[in-house]
Amino acid sequence: MLGVNMAWRNVWRNPRRSGVVISAVAVGVAGALLAMSVTYGMGLQMVETAISTDLGHIQIHASGYDANPELQVRMLDGGQRALSVVSDAPGVRAFARRVRGEGLVTSARASAGVKVIGVEPEREREVSIVADSITAGRYLDGTERRVLIGERLARRLQVDLGDKLVVSVTDLAGDLTGLGVRVGGLFHTPSSVVDGNVVFLLLADSRSLLGLGDAISEIVVIGEEATGVDALRDQLQERLSALEVTNWKQAEPLLDYLIGFFDQIGYYLYGAVFVAMLFGIANVLLMAIHERIREIGVLMAIGMSRGRLATAIVGESLIVTGVGLVIGYAVAIAVVLAFRDGIDLSRVSAGLEAFGVGQRIVPVLRTDDFLIPTLVATATAAAASAWPVYRATRLRPAEAVRHT
Amino acid sequence: MFLEFRLAWRNVWRNPRRSGLTIAATVFAVVLIVLSVGMAAGVHEKMIEDAVRLRSGHVLVAGEGYLDHRTLEQFVRFDAELEQRIRDTPGVRGYAPRVMSFALLSKGQTTSSVALFGIDPRLEGSVSTLSGRVNAGSFIEAGGHRQIVIGERLAAKLSARIGDSLLLYSVAYSLETAYELFSVAGVMRLSDATLDGGLAVISLTDAQEFFVYGDRVSEVAILTDDADRAEAVRSALTDALHGTSVEVSTWDELMPELVEVILVDDAGMYLMVVIVVIVVGFGILNTILMAVLERRREFGVVLALGLRPAAIFRVVYLESILLAQVGLALGLAISLPLLLYLQATPIPVADEMAGVMELFGAEPVLTFKLKPLNPIGSTLTVIALAVIAAFYPAVKASRGRPVDALRSV
Repeated sequence: MLGVNMAWRNVWRNPRRSGVVISAVAVGVAGALLAMSVTYGMGLQMVETAISTDLGHIQIHASGYDANPELQVRMLDGGQRALSVVSDAPGVRAFARRVRGEGLVTSARASAGVKVIGVEPEREREVSIVADSITAGRYLDGTERRVLIGERLARRLQVDLGDKLVVSVTDLAGDLTGLGVRVGGLFHTPSSVVDGNVVFLLLADSRSLLGLGDAISEIVVIGEEATGVDALRDQLQERLSALEVTNWKQAEPLLDYLIGFFDQIGYYLYGAVFVAMLFGIANVLLMAIHERIREIGVLMAIGMSRGRLATAIVGESLIVTGVGLVIGYAVAIAVVLAFRDGIDLSRVSAGLEAFGVGQRIVPVLRTDDFLIPTLVATATAAAASAWPVYRATRLRPAEAVRHT
Repeated sequence: MFLEFRLAWRNVWRNPRRSGLTIAATVFAVVLIVLSVGMAAGVHEKMIEDAVRLRSGHVLVAGEGYLDHRTLEQFVRFDAELEQRIRDTPGVRGYAPRVMSFALLSKGQTTSSVALFGIDPRLEGSVSTLSGRVNAGSFIEAGGHRQIVIGERLAAKLSARIGDSLLLYSVAYSLETAYELFSVAGVMRLSDATLDGGLAVISLTDAQEFFVYGDRVSEVAILTDDADRAEAVRSALTDALHGTSVEVSTWDELMPELVEVILVDDAGMYLMVVIVVIVVGFGILNTILMAVLERRREFGVVLALGLRPAAIFRVVYLESILLAQVGLALGLAISLPLLLYLQATPIPVADEMAGVMELFGAEPVLTFKLKPLNPIGSTLTVIALAVIAAFYPAVKASRGRPVDALRSV
């Protein structure tokens, strides 16, 4: 206890010196935390965009779709069996049936390769943000031969609301066929891939275009909680053994990996910051000991143990780092709260939308983000005090008391 | 001045351990800055180089409105006169006329939508590296007929092998339906996942016939002698092609998304560098401040002996800058050879990390590049750091009243 007491007093004996180290720790920690919160927020948004425009949490397909995602791999019963299971399953918030094909969309002036996605408008509204991303015209209202396309695709095709398009596909029988449609609505999502490469139409239209009869390609499911997707997948797969049930991580493993990858970059940053800090802390402790050689000699002469002395020095290092950490955390939390509506990055929106990030990044802090710097800072503080402790405990009292 | 320099130099070595720690921190910062900036420069240059050599070229000659719409409606008539004018423009290393459009590609019952490039096999190699990406079969041959080369992922999706017949379907310039059988001549491996899964290449003559396009082309991609000369070549070409209805653009206008991705990535890296620099800056401030506080008495003595406060200010400043210079010199001595070595031997990246880089359109290789601005910038940063960090301690040292200072211990 005496050691800790001494450490605390030593910290405040030279507040300016301690203050400089505390500021360094605080700046480093706050900076690293903010960098991590921004990259994590960005990763989350990429995932969120993929889930809410395309993947959902869970996808149900006919067996073999994952290896070979083509038109033939379909649910012949129109997904009725799967629907009855999904609609009763606990933990399911929403679900929707879809038909997926690839095609070519042609306007009077241009053509573009697209995904042709047939949806059930009311159910789709619950699983996808496209309905809420309409910027002109109307969402699918049941009128036949009306399609939704992204603003980006509309620009490329040089079409506007009400203009005619032809969607050409190879149907189930392998024949080239087409369907004349009109643009019923335009949308703008955070993903330029969706905005430039997808045509949404009614499930019935897509079925007749692709010659699918009653069949559908997939059912997407949104769970009650984003964190429960693994369990939900297992549960659904068990009850739908003849079908292929995947979650978004399996559908897009890279996206899942990306968040871990961003974290890795964050750890390098912590590494760099704490190595830089190591020098600063060690320096301060050495100085503190250097100017107190005489005092240490006196303490040792009157019987203070080397263990206590070491405690005092390590303690001082830990206290200085700890105070810096707390201030750094506070600053980071304050900044993240200040930007809870997102950081406006519309200047580089084209680059960000290519990856589904959108124009604003909302920084997000996790509990783990605090755990790691705390551990690393503690280790750094301990490491920085090693040499000073060695120096101080090797002092010989008789010489030290005479030191000037 | 010489006296002050000597004083400062001796002060640096008066407490070698303290100075050593500060120098070590500076070295660390310099190495980190030089390598981070070098890696960003290398990776970005590679991304640009890949994109330029795969698609746009440095400069692009195309019809009016092509950048916005990219359809068959925007075209250039690639006749002997245009070819001659492009060839005669100084700085042009190679040029390649292309027809670019979209099509459906089917084999059996599987269909995929593709971006279709119609290229002239004799000229394409002078601009793009497409032909070098073929890893099975061969590239489109000059004089070949109805040959098609597709990306590896696309081939897998269609289960297409060399020699297989694929049905190409699209809408021609005449707005009539166009379809034709093509035989797979080769499969290429492209690092960009979107292209690898959705690019098909046919010959220019086949494309012009398929789309009923006559002697029209969508674009003429041009490779310049040097990426930095793109702007000069663009203006020379604009002059040379004056009077014709073409638009000449440079690669950064063609790929605004790439430019922005690089911008975001750079911002992230500089943020990291700034954080580390600030932390190191506090370290230097601390050292100098300590060095000043423990010499209060000494400063009092020299002030009493008649040294001017301004001289003390300069001594402290010189000490700080000397420390920074030593750190800087050591840091550059370590990092520059390392950077040059890494520039010569890029680091391949494997597994998921490779996947992430491909997702961002980069080849899975960490490349480094030493640009002159890198060591210059690092030098200026470290000197600025020393100048800022030493200000407060220097003021503190020169302000003391000799009488008080002499009495302090």
